[in-house]
Amino acid sequence: MPVETKPVALSNETEKNSCIAALHARAGLSGPVIAALGLFSLVVPLLPGEFPTIVGVEILILSLFAGSFNLIYGYMGQMSFGQGAFFGLGAYATALLCRWYQAGSTDIGYMQFFLALLLAIPVSALGALVVGFFLVRLTGIYFSILSMAFGELLFYIVFSWYSFTGGDDGIQGIYPPALLRDPHYYYYFTLAIVAVATFLLWRISRSPFGYTLRMLRDNQRRTAFVGVNIRWAMLLNFVLAGTFAGVAGALWGPFQRSVSPTLLGWMQSGSPVFMTLIGGADFFAGPFVGALIYTVLNAYVTRFTVFWPLTIGTIILIIVLFFPGGILSIIDGRLSRNRGSRDS
Amino acid sequence: MGDSDREGSWKNTVDLMNRAVSRRDFIITSGAAGVMTMVPRFARAQSAEPYRIGVLLPTTGSGANYSERPIKILPLIAADINSRGGLLGKHPIELHFRDDQTKPDVGAREARSLILNEKVKTIIGTWSSSVAMAVQEIIHEHKVLMLTATSNSSKIVNENYTPYCFMFGPTSGMQSRATVVAVTRLIKEKGWKKYATLGLDYEWGRDAQRVFVENLKKASPETELMKELWAKLGETDFTSYISAVMALKPNFLFGAIAGKDNETFLQQAKGAGLFKGIAYPGVFLPVTELMQQAKTLPRGIIGINRCPFFANMDKPLMQKYVKLYKDKFGKEEFPDDFACMYADALNALDQGATKAGTVETEAVRKSLTGATIETCQGKLPIRDCNNQLDCPSYLGEVVDVPEYPFPIFNPKTMIVVQGHDVWVPTCDEVRALQKKRS
Amino acid sequence: MPSDLSSFLIQLFSGLSRAMMLFLVASGLSLIFGVMNILNFAHASLWLLGGYVTFSLYQAFSIGFGQHGFLLIPAILLGTVCMFGIGWLIERVLIRRTYAYELPEQLLLTFAMILIIGDLIKLIWGVQNRRIFLPIEPIEAFGGFINPYLFIVIGCGFGIAAALWFFLHRTRYGKIVRAAVHSREMVSALGIRIPAIYAGVYAMGVAIAAFSAGVFLPIMPIGLGLDMDLIVQCFAVVVIGGFGSILGTFVASLIVGILYSFSVLIWPGGALAIIFLILVTVLIIRPWGLFGTEMRF
Repeated sequence: MPVETKPVALSNETEKNSCIAALHARAGLSGPVIAALGLFSLVVPLLPGEFPTIVGVEILILSLFAGSFNLIYGYMGQMSFGQGAFFGLGAYATALLCRWYQAGSTDIGYMQFFLALLLAIPVSALGALVVGFFLVRLTGIYFSILSMAFGELLFYIVFSWYSFTGGDDGIQGIYPPALLRDPHYYYYFTLAIVAVATFLLWRISRSPFGYTLRMLRDNQRRTAFVGVNIRWAMLLNFVLAGTFAGVAGALWGPFQRSVSPTLLGWMQSGSPVFMTLIGGADFFAGPFVGALIYTVLNAYVTRFTVFWPLTIGTIILIIVLFFPGGILSIIDGRLSRNRGSRDS
Repeated sequence: MGDSDREGSWKNTVDLMNRAVSRRDFIITSGAAGVMTMVPRFARAQSAEPYRIGVLLPTTGSGANYSERPIKILPLIAADINSRGGLLGKHPIELHFRDDQTKPDVGAREARSLILNEKVKTIIGTWSSSVAMAVQEIIHEHKVLMLTATSNSSKIVNENYTPYCFMFGPTSGMQSRATVVAVTRLIKEKGWKKYATLGLDYEWGRDAQRVFVENLKKASPETELMKELWAKLGETDFTSYISAVMALKPNFLFGAIAGKDNETFLQQAKGAGLFKGIAYPGVFLPVTELMQQAKTLPRGIIGINRCPFFANMDKPLMQKYVKLYKDKFGKEEFPDDFACMYADALNALDQGATKAGTVETEAVRKSLTGATIETCQGKLPIRDCNNQLDCPSYLGEVVDVPEYPFPIFNPKTMIVVQGHDVWVPTCDEVRALQKKRS
Repeated sequence: MPSDLSSFLIQLFSGLSRAMMLFLVASGLSLIFGVMNILNFAHASLWLLGGYVTFSLYQAFSIGFGQHGFLLIPAILLGTVCMFGIGWLIERVLIRRTYAYELPEQLLLTFAMILIIGDLIKLIWGVQNRRIFLPIEPIEAFGGFINPYLFIVIGCGFGIAAALWFFLHRTRYGKIVRAAVHSREMVSALGIRIPAIYAGVYAMGVAIAAFSAGVFLPIMPIGLGLDMDLIVQCFAVVVIGGFGSILGTFVASLIVGILYSFSVLIWPGGALAIIFLILVTVLIIRPWGLFGTEMRF
């Protein structure tokens, strides 16, 4: 079993203290940030025009997607490059059931729509279970590559199974029921689901299981010595993350009115990675802040230039090179410095 | 020898410079997404509200190669209309360009952004059919017109039909049936008996191959299909497929390959000697490819394209397009199929608005459906049950001619298959395919 | 039956050329990962950039000296040198800064480079596909026709493999590199400055990629988006062979190339699925690959 080891520079005591301090500071920062984002999200539809609301829906869905990724990366310490696959599975599960219900027309009942959304949960969980079963045997770079390979495999299945998934054309005409077609209503609907999911994610991160994951991230071997079933814990976490990604995907199809296999591809799997990194992977609120920044930039930068890849690539480059902890760690650094000076 | 070499190299230098200039131009028009207005200043003073149009084409990924000329010609056509004051002589056209990155969800988002932020009333584009169909849902909901030509899945006008979307080129189904018409003729002429197919393993490739095989079976039941080969999208090495085809020794090969993969295949197949013993009819060769692959293209293969300028130089509108394009980008530059079709789309919008007497979307849409419009391929009707332009497909043998620095289809033997001969025969059948929309 | 044998041979030969194509692109990737522990997502993008650079050099030479196919050789060599320099610069300016961090940051850095390089190509060369025309005529072999250029591709593949082997086993620098693949800590404990060899290895990996892009130009037109199609396959080859093992990459290329070539006949459309199945199996059973050694992760 290959195990990730880190150079231990600090003595155990100082390491522990600094870790605890860091944990407190981070929890301390994430709380207010999430609260502020939550309050702000309530008033987004009041902004002039329909477009901010549409961008808002996108931000909410992608926040959940990035948050699910951070369960694997930030807490468990593994880099998944296949999270898009579960996002896509969720999107396709919902889209396919919606299409089945609305065969021949674009109308769908509320119960049917909610059922279609719910279907995403077992489908993406099952997908994550199968993939995770193999994946949790690996760590580090092999984890990343195998997750990417499975993601591509699922992509090719969806891409080439014409009779069932519609192949690369995707599925069009997935409409939510009448009231939810108004972006404002759909926004609040999405907000409710994302809020519940965020609360669950928060609870998971604060639970003993959440701390087991952090322990796994920091030292797998020691975790095993303590008596934790590593693979079981990793698998459970992977399935949880896949399910949250699936829920995010489920909301995506009815929002865009269509789904396509690109949702499962490795470039799609890259976006939650970018978002988490921009926001700060060490913070619960990191992926949410990252999703906000990434999506708003994406929505408005393309109005002025076609060089969006260059723009986002440069931003990521700068963050990786100069602010490797993400935006929140900069703020956190400032705050703790102030606090430090006050304390002394 | 030496002299001709020097002359050649000088010509190359000029070529290169021209190319550099036109490239810079392209970056200027597309690099800054924003607005591409070409409104004469005097016209602006007395004009009413501008008519905003979104141009949604990929400049990222493998589709980008085919976006260049449409992006270059559209501002010229817009400027031409604006020199008359714009639509109805008072609504100058404003073009807003966006990159759809060949991704359906990006296309959908950009379409929404164009509609809600830039207040466009029409969207022109896109390249990939999957993107077009994602955008179709958005424009239907917002009641915005969509004029498409490059993305030509039959679903756009049949299964996913919306009255707001107009198709200005032959669909993939029409193209495949047109190929069957030509191939049936060749089968009789040359006594071909068996064939193989090589398709790209994605929706367009599958669809094109299926329609071809089905229709050939009807037209010429005794011709035997030996094997179907499928290559993945984005294949870089066709050698294994080429040797597999050559081992089969069919009389002809039908290829459903498009884009850069098509070029890769042609280049590798030519080097491997595939065309020495096996005919290759029906390869999709838009003018873009004829120009870009001027040197490498194997001569004698039979290609199909959608709107070649060289077949329509007798039509006034085509003369105008070619002149506009050459004046702006240099003598060696010609608009390709896609540029001409999109130019037609913009001109059709102008005619629709004139006929309706207003630029209101509903009125323009109704005036265009079933109308006969002036295009660079002559006067053509728009089918009233699915907004499909009755446009022909062109099949011909690739030959060199003295007039152009690149090969064209042999004008003497070129087959022009009319749109109404190959589309879904009756409007009742079309309506049976179309799904209900609320 | 002779006709079957000949078609078998031709198919084998096609597979061999595909294998060498894969090897040429993937060997640099494998080397970079083996030594530096960096998964270079941008490898195929740098490969593509190398193709464009070589294309422009060839054009410039054609203007200077008239059109001649043999000008491709100096163009490829100069292109390789240019890309060596660019690779060196990228390592010095960008990648060097991430050694203090962990794997994810490095992944992201190279991921960002894909986006940046793609757009830079668009800025410099525009969106059109590019190609080089060589008057290649098919020759007769095994009772059929074959593209003679394939011999050049296969020759280059074996040549690079031999050169890499010689470099790694017979030169001092190469031995250090090999030792670093095996145990970085031990090498640095011996007083050799590991970071000093990083720039060289990265640049060399990029240079091999650029060289192969130049070699393919006459049979493979280049255009935007080509890197995306190639990188996943390269990953597959490198993983199957084992990171850092040039021999492994070579063998894996042969397996994948030849299997692919025959599956075209037997299961058209399923060729890629076979590769992924091999990849997944290898990763599960032997994650360090067929020839790799179990490593730090």
